[in-house]
Amino acid sequence: MNPSDETLMAYADGELDAATRKQVEASMAADPQVARRLAAHQALRSQLHASFDKVLEEPVPPHLIALVRSAAKGSEVGQVLQFPRKQAQRRAWLQWSSLAASFVLGALLWQLASRMYPTAPITESKGALVASGALARALNSRLASQQTASDPVQIGVSFRSRQGAYCRTFQLRDTAATAGLACHGDDDWIVQVAARADASATAHSQYRQAASTLPPMVLEAVQEAIAGDPLDAGAEAQARAAGWRAGH
Amino acid sequence: MPPLSEALSVELVELLPRLRRFARALAGNMSDADDLVQIAIERALSRAEQLHDGAPLAGWMFGILRNAWIDEVRGRARRNRVFVPEELGAQVPDPSSGQALLLPVQQALQRLPDEQREVIGLVLIEGLSYREAAQIIDVPIGTVTSRLARGREALQAMLGDVEQERA
Repeated sequence: MNPSDETLMAYADGELDAATRKQVEASMAADPQVARRLAAHQALRSQLHASFDKVLEEPVPPHLIALVRSAAKGSEVGQVLQFPRKQAQRRAWLQWSSLAASFVLGALLWQLASRMYPTAPITESKGALVASGALARALNSRLASQQTASDPVQIGVSFRSRQGAYCRTFQLRDTAATAGLACHGDDDWIVQVAARADASATAHSQYRQAASTLPPMVLEAVQEAIAGDPLDAGAEAQARAAGWRAGH
Repeated sequence: MPPLSEALSVELVELLPRLRRFARALAGNMSDADDLVQIAIERALSRAEQLHDGAPLAGWMFGILRNAWIDEVRGRARRNRVFVPEELGAQVPDPSSGQALLLPVQQALQRLPDEQREVIGLVLIEGLSYREAAQIIDVPIGTVTSRLARGREALQAMLGDVEQERA
């Protein structure tokens, strides 16, 4: 018997039943050519292993381990996640993100305007847009649960970015409803994106207010940056206590 | 309710090296592969209620990772792919490309069609059975067998060429 190539592969992969295995072994014993063909399959398998098994020796990036562990730790301190409907919310963000392009111009105008007014809540420093004044104070000290509707700066969601930095969304009441996303750098809050809030976004009132009033461009930036879930109230307070510095 | 029981989270952490290996086989480079692992973990956590202690975690995770690759990372990897010269043996690595350290067998794997690469990854690298691979990809076992055969043949041809050039 001369086994087909598929049979030989199945033999090399341990997929044959005992009877067929015996037949293959018999034909190998009778015909060295069969044995050579099988050896080629086995050689490929060990080449692949020799190459890819090195990944098993590499240290696993800590953020991947932390992501898994954070999901298990949730219950230990009895925390209640603030965003139980995460799936629905993410889908909503995705829908809105398709509208993002129309907000780019608004964001650029906002950036230009903020350069002209050094006392603005967003200023330029070393090529980056940095939160200052009332915005910086709110980002540093305000917990989302403690604010009132009359605060000129409203803090939305806080989360860890994929790079591990703390990020928060914000809205400025008195600056024509500008909203944005800031992530904590070494010392300052770096504004990643800021745009005019679209009044029509408030129509999505079935979602949590903090998210629903953000312009699509900001939501898209959140979606792009976020690692895992938004911080709950306890984690938000801990992050504030740590000065919003990564590594905690 | 936490998304994940303590026991499952330990098991998932222990599985991370294998998930990274499978992701590397699919995506080809470390950064796309680790992005892929992160997306797979996020997806798994969002539907952790499908799992209970003692359930076969590995196959479930490989499936989630494979689907995440198809949905999100595959297109990006293709856009970023560094041009691979026809003559694998004559390649001069570009140190800035991140592909400089790819071994010939890894390069050859990246040149396979996606559908062949994923079965090679699942069966030959991760050691899954044909049946498990068929369930993950959601195709009949016969399809796994034939993709595996074509993929092997192509790899052997590419690697054989390299060997001959060196000889």
